[in-house]
Formats: sequence, structure tokens, C-alpha cells
Amino acid sequence: MMELTRRDFLKVGSVTAAGAVAFTGCAPAARESIIQSPLLMPEDTLNSFENWYGSVCKQCGAGCGIVVRVIEGRAKKIEGNPDHPLNAGKICARGVSGVQALYHPDRLRSPLRRSGPRGSGRYTSVSWEEALGEVAARLDALKKENQAQSVVMAVAPLRGVAATITKRFMTNYGGTVYSFETLDNTVVRRSAEAAFGDPLLPKFDLENATYVLSFGANFLEPWLSQVSYNRAYGEFRQGGAERGTLIQFEQRMSTTGASADEWVHLPNPGTDGVLALSIAYVIVSKNLTSAANIRNATGGAGAAALRGFEPAEAEKKTGVPAARIEALAEAFAKAKAPLAIGGMGAAGHTNGLFNLSAIFTLNHLVGNVGRRGGVLLNPSGPTREFGDQIAADPVRAWRALTDRMQNKQINILMLHDANPLYGLPPTVKFGPALKNVPMIISFSSFMDETTAMADLILPDSSYLESWGDYVPDPGVAYETLGLQQPVVNPLYSTRTFSDALLTLAKTAPMAEDMKSGLAWETTRDALKALTTPLYEANRGSIRKTEGGKTISQELWWNKVLAAGGWWDERGVKATPIAPKAFAPRDAADPKFSGDEKQYMFHLNIFPSAGVGDGSMAHLPWTQFTPDPMTTIAWQTWIEVNPKDAEKMGLRTNDIVRVDSPVGSLETTVYVYPGIAPGTVAIPAGQGHTHMGRYAEKRGANPLTLVDPEMIDASTGALAFNATRVRLTKTGKRYSLPRIEGGAVEAREPFDYTVIQVTDGKGGGATGGH
Amino acid sequence: MSRRPSIIVGVLVLVVLMAGMVGAQAVYSQYAAPEQPVKFTHVTHAGVLQMDCTFCHRNVDKGASAMVPAVEQCMFCHKAVTGDGTDPAKLAEIAKVRDAFDSGNPIDWIRVHRLPDTVRFVHSAHIKALSKPGMPTAQVCSTCHGDVPSMGKVGQVRSLKMGDCVACHRQNSAPTDCTTCHK
Repeated sequence: MMELTRRDFLKVGSVTAAGAVAFTGCAPAARESIIQSPLLMPEDTLNSFENWYGSVCKQCGAGCGIVVRVIEGRAKKIEGNPDHPLNAGKICARGVSGVQALYHPDRLRSPLRRSGPRGSGRYTSVSWEEALGEVAARLDALKKENQAQSVVMAVAPLRGVAATITKRFMTNYGGTVYSFETLDNTVVRRSAEAAFGDPLLPKFDLENATYVLSFGANFLEPWLSQVSYNRAYGEFRQGGAERGTLIQFEQRMSTTGASADEWVHLPNPGTDGVLALSIAYVIVSKNLTSAANIRNATGGAGAAALRGFEPAEAEKKTGVPAARIEALAEAFAKAKAPLAIGGMGAAGHTNGLFNLSAIFTLNHLVGNVGRRGGVLLNPSGPTREFGDQIAADPVRAWRALTDRMQNKQINILMLHDANPLYGLPPTVKFGPALKNVPMIISFSSFMDETTAMADLILPDSSYLESWGDYVPDPGVAYETLGLQQPVVNPLYSTRTFSDALLTLAKTAPMAEDMKSGLAWETTRDALKALTTPLYEANRGSIRKTEGGKTISQELWWNKVLAAGGWWDERGVKATPIAPKAFAPRDAADPKFSGDEKQYMFHLNIFPSAGVGDGSMAHLPWTQFTPDPMTTIAWQTWIEVNPKDAEKMGLRTNDIVRVDSPVGSLETTVYVYPGIAPGTVAIPAGQGHTHMGRYAEKRGANPLTLVDPEMIDASTGALAFNATRVRLTKTGKRYSLPRIEGGAVEAREPFDYTVIQVTDGKGGGATGGH
Repeated sequence: MSRRPSIIVGVLVLVVLMAGMVGAQAVYSQYAAPEQPVKFTHVTHAGVLQMDCTFCHRNVDKGASAMVPAVEQCMFCHKAVTGDGTDPAKLAEIAKVRDAFDSGNPIDWIRVHRLPDTVRFVHSAHIKALSKPGMPTAQVCSTCHGDVPSMGKVGQVRSLKMGDCVACHRQNSAPTDCTTCHK
């Protein structure tokens, strides 16, 4: 036997110990090599039940139906309401972020009175009675001095009963209602009204269309009714027998453009209308549509009416080759269900109304207005109050108001979710004009830029804590009423805006003048009273009499609430309209602010995928929703074409100074082959100085650069794509927060006018003039 | 100076490394059936009594994990069933379960099948893909777990390493994209 000395024993022992220590890390931890069988059945250990409440999303103006999962009085998750005709169970990133608006740490929790200088952020909490009493006393004092017209209520666009209450309140009092929305849709609204004779936005029946010409309409992004368009787009591609074809004209390749079959680069911004008229010229001159359609659309003059818009002429103006225009016109006219949509890209110019009117009239030319797969008109709301709305006022109206403020003609400015201090170009000088307004009252639930100037704040409840209603706009071509109910009790001492107005209308000393039309105690009472005609009408999705049995109004009301609203597919339809003719005489060349030599680039502004126009910048989930094209989140960037970048020696992540004739900002370059040379694009939505911890001091606001003199002459709306800018290298760099490494560099130099994304047979990329 | 000490050290290190590898292998692919805290036998439950696999592993066709049943579920039967009364060893094992339930202590079973953290395996998808009309559940499960109803102590019967997964996915025309399993 081998002799084992003490020394050998220690040697071997220590090596073994070292091995044991060294390999401990190789074995899984004990917690991973056991499975604990719980004591009780998991399904029996639930200590609460979930409830799903139907309601309406108020995160944007679309008005999708939602269902909210509530456990023990706390809202947990928002989903799309599968029964709602608009969104059919779908929902977007902004919609699900609604719970973050509810639980936001920077929500205003009680009425506040300013206790320091304006803008200092020093406030003291006061009771609702005191706050409402003060507002009533101030309003009454002005009224007694015959100064009621010096009171302005500025709201974000409102619909339904809230709009009715706001309007009646201000009418009774004698003041004025204004509405503000950053990057408003005034031009789209007015031109749709002109073309289709309906003050409500029409439903573009993308779902059943087979050939879509989209002129800068970013319908897969935050525009009008994003979720319903996304759903319809799926049907458009895969739903019917025929796969639809999408052609997109724009300067900056958007997510919608990237989804198109053909992305047609429109080199000259603001020439969408000329392009549309040229397409019309081809259709008319080649008799590609019925004689009646041609007669109606040209006022009987035929192709002569469109002289000057021959493809060869249009090529000079738009930069799109004549052969391409002819081919697209023929394909459009011959399609089973053609559809022409115009959006922000075409609207944001000094000739915006002309552009969109020409585009919309194309639908009359091919006879698809009121037809499946074409433009469907929306009936007004099921009752007058539900159909009521306060749409955004254009920048011209806001400049007029700013002048009145500057001239000390406004004594009280009341605000509700309107944030003009952020959304108006700074050269409008809304900020300085605010100093001349003796009293600013805000009903907003977050400390946004304008609310931060307020003397008194009466915070609104979240939409998840409030009663309300919403007729979707654009609707679904039949009567639809979404009902919003509180899914949780108010977390804080806040009150729904419309409830606060109803209470104010009953607060002494002004109660005497305010009663008319505002007898309801609460918004809920108003909704119950105003839905009575729908109960009595005994029609639609939930009826008074079902299978011979009549239900009480209370039960009917509960059923409607549970369903998230009421709709009637076979109800009142919109009145058909007479076809409209093109108005080629309105054609005007787009004007741009800034000298071409000094300011080399066209500036293109688009709403961010997550934070939109900036009204959603306070929510972390929308902040980290990346832009689908660049995958950038949480930041502002400027898109520069690779050719321009090479010329200027710019790389992605270089910080540049952007100067326009009216303003400047610094932001980070993202070299993007999808933007036309000579154009740069900046997303809107960032650059907040207020609005909570997640929004503040992040990125830049491109509206700083926009020249407010540039407006669409007919509507007075801001032409936000009509300013030129120049870029200057700063030498500083910043690493943009991106999910992916960036777009693949264009292999060919960018002089393709048309990029044929697919030939429909799985073919590769082809292109050229 | 002699080089022998360094060679000895080298050999010793090698031995220790190899021992470690064998040890790690034993942990990561447990072909040997481990001893469990309760001598539960599938022979009685799934074999003799022919209880369906999903009676106890009730999440197997619903989610990622098949789930080890709660002690309360054992008590569905073992409140009344205390063994045949003849074998004191069996009585003692059942008593362990009843004691655990009465005293409120969960049972720490030894894990038999363990996949690396980089893999997300979803039982329900596999059950759905492998089931055919009229096929007993036990037969579906046996594709990967072997003939469990005959196992006194459960051990792993397949390597369940990536090659094994990919081979089976190919045979069944299942996707073999990286992201199918790796998240």
C-alpha cells in the first residue's frame, strides 16, 4: 500500500478542494434543479376577479372602442373592443399606453392656485369649491362689466356631449370657443367637405379598394384613424379575392410608403394637385371612364377644362415622368375599385386645399364616391348632440387671437388640453402675448407648456375615470356611437372637464345666466338623457325589443355600456351628393419661406409613430415606440439623403444646426436613403420644456423652424412643409437610440424617380425613368 | 531544475477538469433517474390506474410549462386513499404528502428535464402539433418523455440537446428558424 504522508494528503486535498470550488459555477444553482410543487391549486389562489369594461379610447381623435381589464378597482390593461365597428378589437401603441396616463407620477392631482410668479411652477393646492368659486366670481365680474367677449375657452378638438356642453357654456356666457391641435387636419377637413359635401370626414374604403393612389396620406401612421386604416390595409392586401395595389407619392418614404407596391418619389413638394389633375387629364382625354363622369368632373368641357395639365407639362412642374403619369392614370381608371387619398404630405403647403381638392375629385371622375371600395360618406351622429364637434381652428385664427391677447383684449383664457405654446411656431409670439392676459385657467390634467403659465388649474380626470361619448371621426359609414364610462374611481381630486363646466354653470353668482341647455347635473345624466331617443327608436345593435320581449331603459343602458356603445349598420345613411368638378383655375404653385440659395433644403415635418404631434410625449410607452423606418425612439432626428450627407461630410449621429428664416435648432443626423435629395425631414412631438418627467428636455421641436407666414390661403391652416432650411455641422456627435443598426445604404445613387418595390410576381427591384 | 513538478500539476489540473466535465454532464443531461423526496411512482398512477397525463400536468396543452401538480391536487385522492394498508413503505410515502399539506410545506421535487435558459420550449405547441385524432395523451407525451407509465422513477430518455430538437423539427417539417426556439 502506498504511504500517504501528511504533506501529500494536504496537497491532494487542496487540489480537490480547488476543483470543487472551480466547478461549482458549472452546475446549475439549486433553485434551478428543483421544481417546487405549490401547496394549493394555482387557480384557487386567485384572490380577486377581473372585470372587462367597455369604453372609448381618447388618446387620439379616432375614437376606437376599448375594453379595459380591471382588477380590484385598478385598470390593468387596455385592449381593442372586438365588437366596435371602427377598430374591431385592434388597438395601437398609444391606445394601450392609456394606463400610463392614468397612473402617471406627474399627473395634476388637485386644483392648484399659483403662489409664485407666472411660470415659476409654484402652486398651492386648493379645494374644488374654492377653485370653482373663484372662476365663477371672475367670470361673473367680467360679465357685469360687459366684458364677456373677452373670455376665451381654448380646447383640444372635442366631440359629442363634451362639445355640446362646452359650446352651450360659452354661448350662454357670451365668450368664444377656440380649438387647438398641433399639425391640425383643417385642410383635409375643408377639402373633403368641398369635394364630398359632408362636414364629417368620409370613410376611405381601403378595405374593399383594389387600386389606391395615396398622395402623402400616411394612413398606416398617426393620421386620422390609424387603427381602422391598419386593419383595412390588411384586408386590402389579403382579405378579398384581388390583392390591392398601393401607389404612394411623397418626398420622404414613410411607413405607408414603405408598404406600397410602388413608391413614386415626387421630387417637387406641393405639386400633388398638379399631378392629380394630370392623371385626370389622361383619364379624360383617353376616355377611360364613363362619358357622364367626364362631363360632371370637367363641367362639360372635356379635356379642354384640364388644358395645361398634360403629362408633359405636369412633368415639368412635378418632376414625375410623363410616361409614368400616363401609366398610373390608366391603371387607376381601369381598376375595379380605384381610390385616391390625399394626406398631410399634400396638405401641408400654401396650396394645400387645391392639392387635396384635386386629389379627392379624382374619385368623382372614376365614379367611386358612395361605392364599395371608394369614398363612403358618413352620416351625422345618431342625435344632434352626439354628432356635435369642435374642430381645430387653423393657425390664422390663432394668430388673430394672439393679436387680441397682445392688445389686452382678452381677460380670461381658459384651456383644456390645448397646448398652443408648444404647438404654434414661436414666431407667432403666443408666449409673450400670454403675459397680457390677466387670468389663465387650465383644465388640463398635465403640466404642459401652456398650463405651466396658468394662474388656476382645475385638473381634468383621466378618460378612464370619466363619462363621455364619441362618434368616431372618420366614421364607418353608418351611425356609430361609442360610450365612455369610468372603469376606475378617480385616483385623485380631479373632475371631468364637462362635469366641471356643468358644476360651474350652477355655481353662484353666475348661475342665473347659465342654465339654458345645461340642466344636467353630470355628464352621465346628460348621456342617459340623450340616449333616450335611441332606446325609443328600437333599432341598431341593442334594441328596446328583442325577440318579442321589451327591456327597461335601465337594462338597455347597461347593455349599451357593456358593449362599449351603440351602432346601426342598417340605420340612417349619408345623403348622396352630386359629383363635383375639378377646379383647375385654383391651381397655385406652392410658395416656400427662405431663399433657395441660402436655405438649400425643403423641410418636411411628420408626426412621430409613438408621441404623434407631441400630445403623447408624456408617456414612456409611446416614447419608446420606435419609428418603424429608422427604429429611433425617445429622440428627435433629421433625415438626410446619403448624397447630400456625402456632399456635406455628414454621418449618422453628427449633430447639426438647422436654420430656417425664422428659427433654429440642433438635432442629430440620420442618413436615410428614403428621403429625396434636397429635402430633410424632422419628426414632430419632442422638444417639450414641460409635460412631465418623460417628455421634458428631450429632442427638439421642429415647429421652431416653421414660418407661420406660410399658410394655405383658403383655409388659413399652417403650411408646415413650406419652409426651407440649411444645415451646419457642429462637430458634435450624439449616439441616436436605435433598435437596429440603420437602413441599408442605397447601393445605387439616388436618381431613380420610381422605385418599383414589387412587380406582384415576386420579382426584384427594378426602376428608372 | 526538474520539470516534473509542473507536469504533475498539469496532469492534476486535467484530471480535475475532466472530473468537472463529467459532473456538469451529469447535471445537464440527467439520463439517470434522480431520487425524489417522495417515492411517487407513475407506474401506479399513469400505468395501473391509467390516469390521463393532463389530469395532473394540467397546463401541458395550455401553456409553456406542463406544471408539476400542487400538493392540494394529490390530496384530491389521498385524503381518502392512504395506500392498500399492507405495505408500510407505501404508507410512509403517502404520509409524507399528507404531512406536507397539513403543515403547509411545499414539496421540492428534483427537476428531471432541464433546458438551457436560451431556449423557450412551449409544451402546448408540441402537444398540438403531435396529437392525432383519437391518440391517447400518454402516447403524444411519449414522443419525448418515453414510456412514463412504466417508470417507477422518471428519468430523461432523449438528449433534448439542440441536435435532437432540430432533427425532430426537420422530420415533422416544423420551422427551424433560430427564433423558433431561441428568444
